[in-house]
Amino acid sequence: MSLRLTTGNDHMQAQDSSKNTPDAAHFAALLQLIAEKRDRTAFVEIFEYFAPRVKSFLLGQGVAPAAADDVLQEVMLAVWNKAKLFDPKKAAPSTWIFAIARNKRIDRIRRETKPELDPEEPNLQPGAEEAADDAVLDTQRKSAVAEAMADLPQEQRICVELSFMKGLSHGEIAEHLRLPLGTVKSRIRLAFGRLRSELGDLQ
Amino acid sequence: MNTAHTIQDEWLLSYAAGALTPGRSLMVAAHAAYHDGLQEKVADAEAIGGALLDAVDLSNVDQRVLEHLLDNLNDAPPEIAAPRADEIFPDPLAEFVDGGADSLKWRFMGPGMSNVRLWNGPNDERLWLLRARGGIAMPEHGHNGDEWTLVLKGAFNTSQGRFAVGDMDIADDAMEHQPLIEQGEECICLVLTEGPLRFNSLAARMVQPLIGL
Repeated sequence: MSLRLTTGNDHMQAQDSSKNTPDAAHFAALLQLIAEKRDRTAFVEIFEYFAPRVKSFLLGQGVAPAAADDVLQEVMLAVWNKAKLFDPKKAAPSTWIFAIARNKRIDRIRRETKPELDPEEPNLQPGAEEAADDAVLDTQRKSAVAEAMADLPQEQRICVELSFMKGLSHGEIAEHLRLPLGTVKSRIRLAFGRLRSELGDLQ
Repeated sequence: MNTAHTIQDEWLLSYAAGALTPGRSLMVAAHAAYHDGLQEKVADAEAIGGALLDAVDLSNVDQRVLEHLLDNLNDAPPEIAAPRADEIFPDPLAEFVDGGADSLKWRFMGPGMSNVRLWNGPNDERLWLLRARGGIAMPEHGHNGDEWTLVLKGAFNTSQGRFAVGDMDIADDAMEHQPLIEQGEECICLVLTEGPLRFNSLAARMVQPLIGL
């Protein structure tokens, strides 16, 4: 079972294409043009759709506004350079780009902390995260995953959203919601199980 | 797959979400590299991220970001480095250290034991590699926080059972724990600890400042 909902292949086979993320097959074709033809027009189109979204995601996860454009550039450059590695059978374009953005952000945090420094050094502590614009979901563009998310019990959904949209750890979510750590972990586990089984059914 | 020795789903979701520290992210990625079932779950959780990315509010992006990128795109087909094949380290770890076990400087940690510190992070998190000779007992210790141990080579036993290559031992601060390395082959593990280990023996406590754990 797997959630690969929005791949090019699925698009062709899908009975109900409204369940698909907008234009997944189209973006997959653009990525292929980038990979094979080094097509800049395709890149500009990908940039125009994804860059404002990736930036929201980065800001939501606590990347400082001053650094966000920098990380965004790294992400989009990786899209250009690694388009050949995109496999529409494995992931939707938005999933692939999401994972690149996540990795670039984690790499950046890692580069900012060096192994030989004393962990007590104040500069190793994560910077006070600047209040970024809340990255709120647009209800007008609900994909199948977003619909399945909306069906989750609210207390489970909020734990998943805080993980993805704010990059909060289990401990941070527990603190934020004033819940025991074990409760947060079990809510995430339950939500994930439910999402996997619901979305698996769509395949 | 022995699910008792694989990490639980809530960690896979947080990894996919980008909600773990760099040290824990690397632990999960390296662990998943051994298990198709874990990779499939990570891919599912990433699909949640992809859907959220489609649905997120848009931020303003300065036109200069695109212009700068277009000025710097390389039209030549990119060289995509093949994953570093290493006999012991899974790909995410080989990439992280940019080499294999033999390219690292192992430091003496006690008789038959050496270590390499890889990363220190917030909450006094330490990511390090442990190399121990077959047959030795690790000093008995407790933890001030979580301790995650991923076996990369060889095997060890604890009160929780036998841990072999690809297995993850997850101990929390309530556990006293004395891993026993199996006879024969050496054992190499990727370890993440929170806060200094609490050794029970005086001898281990005396060398602790030297080994930096």
